[in-house]
Amino acid sequence: MTEHRIRSLDQRERDATSQHLHLAAQESLYRRLIARDERALVELIDLATPWLLGVAENILHDGTEAEEVVLDAFRRLWHRVGDITDTRSGIMPWMLRVTRNLAIDRLRSRKRQAHGDALIATGYAHDIGLSADATFEMSLDGRAVHDAVHHALSELSTDQERAVRLAFFAGLSHSEIAATLGIPLGTVKGRLRLAFEHLRGSLSAVREWAL
Amino acid sequence: MSAHEWFVTSRVPYVARSLDPVEETAFADHLARCEECRNEVTAIEHDLAWLPMAVKPVSVRPGFRGEIARAILENPARVRRPNAVWLWAAAASVVATSTASIAFVSAARHDSAQFAAAVRARDSSLAGLRDTLSDMRDTLSVMRESSRVLQAQITLGQRTGGLLIFADQLHHRWQVVMHGLPPAPVGEAYQFWFICGDGMIRDATLIGDPDRPAVYTLILPPNSGPVLGASLTLEPVQDSSKGPKGKELAHLLL
Repeated sequence: MTEHRIRSLDQRERDATSQHLHLAAQESLYRRLIARDERALVELIDLATPWLLGVAENILHDGTEAEEVVLDAFRRLWHRVGDITDTRSGIMPWMLRVTRNLAIDRLRSRKRQAHGDALIATGYAHDIGLSADATFEMSLDGRAVHDAVHHALSELSTDQERAVRLAFFAGLSHSEIAATLGIPLGTVKGRLRLAFEHLRGSLSAVREWAL
Repeated sequence: MSAHEWFVTSRVPYVARSLDPVEETAFADHLARCEECRNEVTAIEHDLAWLPMAVKPVSVRPGFRGEIARAILENPARVRRPNAVWLWAAAASVVATSTASIAFVSAARHDSAQFAAAVRARDSSLAGLRDTLSDMRDTLSVMRESSRVLQAQITLGQRTGGLLIFADQLHHRWQVVMHGLPPAPVGEAYQFWFICGDGMIRDATLIGDPDRPAVYTLILPPNSGPVLGASLTLEPVQDSSKGPKGKELAHLLL
């Protein structure tokens, strides 16, 4: 790894020019990562970090911990890229999944109920940090996927969407959601089942990191 | 209803990470030995792959991207490379396997169709055994993981039998064994009921056989309040009323 490359990466942070990473480019990126191409890693860090930090911060509400999780996710990718067997979805979904799982694992090592109480106290349960910052997002790769996912979420009922936000984006379990929303456990499971059934159908069309 | 049902309904919550931690551990344990669930979990992960992209992206702190790159690339990955001994062993194995295969194919060429049919039959048989084994493992897991065991002695006419329940509350399923009872009287059936917070919930009709226990895996009713116990009654065959009307043979509470 050269200083030049790292400096050029920092330079790109200040550069608002958007880069487009299509499916074909993603496959190429995967091959280059397997070949231990450091430039491929730098490209991926450049593109993916804002989204991965978003995933981790949504769950952890701690910028420092979120950065640690994202670093850990990239480290895992670099060390294990040859072992990733399911590459149908691409590298980015793998990174999203690993980041989310690492963040949830951290969350669960804390006192979970305290987290649930905090959600109620702040009213956060009804707004899990998905609200858009249009200016920022417009200049970011992945915006089209972000919009497509929001469109799919908007097709859910209000109750279903709230349950999905708490389960998927805040990392709460069934019983924690039931306690947070004050509804029976069976109702939580029913809402999530219907919601994810719908999302599986509507999101299956999103197959590439298209801009 | 199969004992596997709980795992089937838990696939999406497992991917979403919304199972409670103990349930998640149980599902992961099951996943290690169930190819069907593994395949379906992979498919669900694939379908929901982009869902995390709903999050609001975060402005990256200046220099953080560089820190990631430095942390990873200045501490090179410990890439596992096969050593020479294993490479030679693998090569020798490939040669040996290829030689054996060529000899085998040559010998079997004249009756290859018969051989292929035999292989297909064996594969089919193995698949059936694998399914049976998987079902048995799940059935045993209900008993092994049950938190309560309930039993009632039942006398019907000249016969004395019973009802035995292994209550696996963790996975919301019960193993129910009815034994020693004769077939239900003509026009009647053994009816199993869950006693729930919201009332009695009709579930399976059990088959009486004095010589062979009847074993059922029942999933707890999901939207009827907490399950408090169970009841076994004799009900008219055609009856489908919501509550029991016939003679109660057993009444068990958790």
